[in-house]
Amino acid sequence: MSTGCQKTTSRAIPTTRRVTINDAAHMPHDYSTTPGGTLFSTTPGGTRIIYDRKFLLDCRSSPVARTPPRCLPNIPGVTSPPSAHNDKAHPPQQILNNNNCTAPTDKTAGEDAQFEMDI
Amino acid sequence: MNQFDHLKDDDTGDNEDPAANREGKSDSSAVNNHNNNGRRKAISPGAGEHPLQYNYTFWYFRRTPSRPANTQSYEQNIRQIGTVASVEQFWKLYSHLVRPGDLIGHSDFHIFKEGIKPMWEDEANKNGGKWIIRLRKGLASRFWENIILAMLGEQFMVGEEICGVVVSIRFQEDILSIWNKTANDQVTTSRIRDTLRRVLNLPPNTIMEYKTHNDSLKDNSSFRNTKITL
Repeated sequence: MSTGCQKTTSRAIPTTRRVTINDAAHMPHDYSTTPGGTLFSTTPGGTRIIYDRKFLLDCRSSPVARTPPRCLPNIPGVTSPPSAHNDKAHPPQQILNNNNCTAPTDKTAGEDAQFEMDI
Repeated sequence: MNQFDHLKDDDTGDNEDPAANREGKSDSSAVNNHNNNGRRKAISPGAGEHPLQYNYTFWYFRRTPSRPANTQSYEQNIRQIGTVASVEQFWKLYSHLVRPGDLIGHSDFHIFKEGIKPMWEDEANKNGGKWIIRLRKGLASRFWENIILAMLGEQFMVGEEICGVVVSIRFQEDILSIWNKTANDQVTTSRIRDTLRRVLNLPPNTIMEYKTHNDSLKDNSSFRNTKITL
């Protein structure tokens, strides 16, 4: 079962791409990047869609991203919180990835100190 | 290479791939029918959503301790959770999954390009290998998120080479892996390694290990006997 679809191969290189920005927060801070993901032109195969981490994290707050997916299989402990856990308020949010408390970790410097590698 | 010969069930150190008895057949009838394989509609970004360069499928595996390893089939026990084609669809799905740090037991999450199974024998993986990084407990959730964002955001810059990423929750450590198609392409593997250091903010003396999938097949282990790089 090989990968098959290479989305960029048989497509003319787009000359323009329209990205609508409604929120100033979505404008990139880096002057050399474009909103909606930086487009890098490569001659064979056209452009590649690149997003930096900050942009991806910003998309998390969009209403589309917050609604639950349809057809999520029910795997206890994976798609629903494990029943054993009961920390603080909102245990599901503690366990699931939709809490935004992970925001402090996106500082690039001064994160948790080195982790020890036990050999 | 007869995989039925490998019936080791070594739980100490817990570094082995549980696939003691995996069938190489890719017959879809052998795949767990909880997968959404029945409905093969194409997944694509919704209107106004930000498309990803590739579609990605989420998988999950858990070794059930009660079953003896020799009756377990890895291929039958990995489950698809969903496929995403846009940044928004990714967050939709990812936000509704437990974080890896909260998974119980010997478990794995995999996120692979659509069409590539997280198995050594898959066409895309058979000449490939993976980088692995061992993490002490408590770090998996954060590192998992960062490696996913780097992959989805095309930060690795190695063309088509990336196949997917895996987080493996084990007894005393957790392991992050990134799989690429061509193990002997040193330019690619070096670039992946360097990108990992940057996007995961790894301390400079972090040990990184590479293992070809062929070697994994031979010793039936995901995480032992790797090549160590400093």
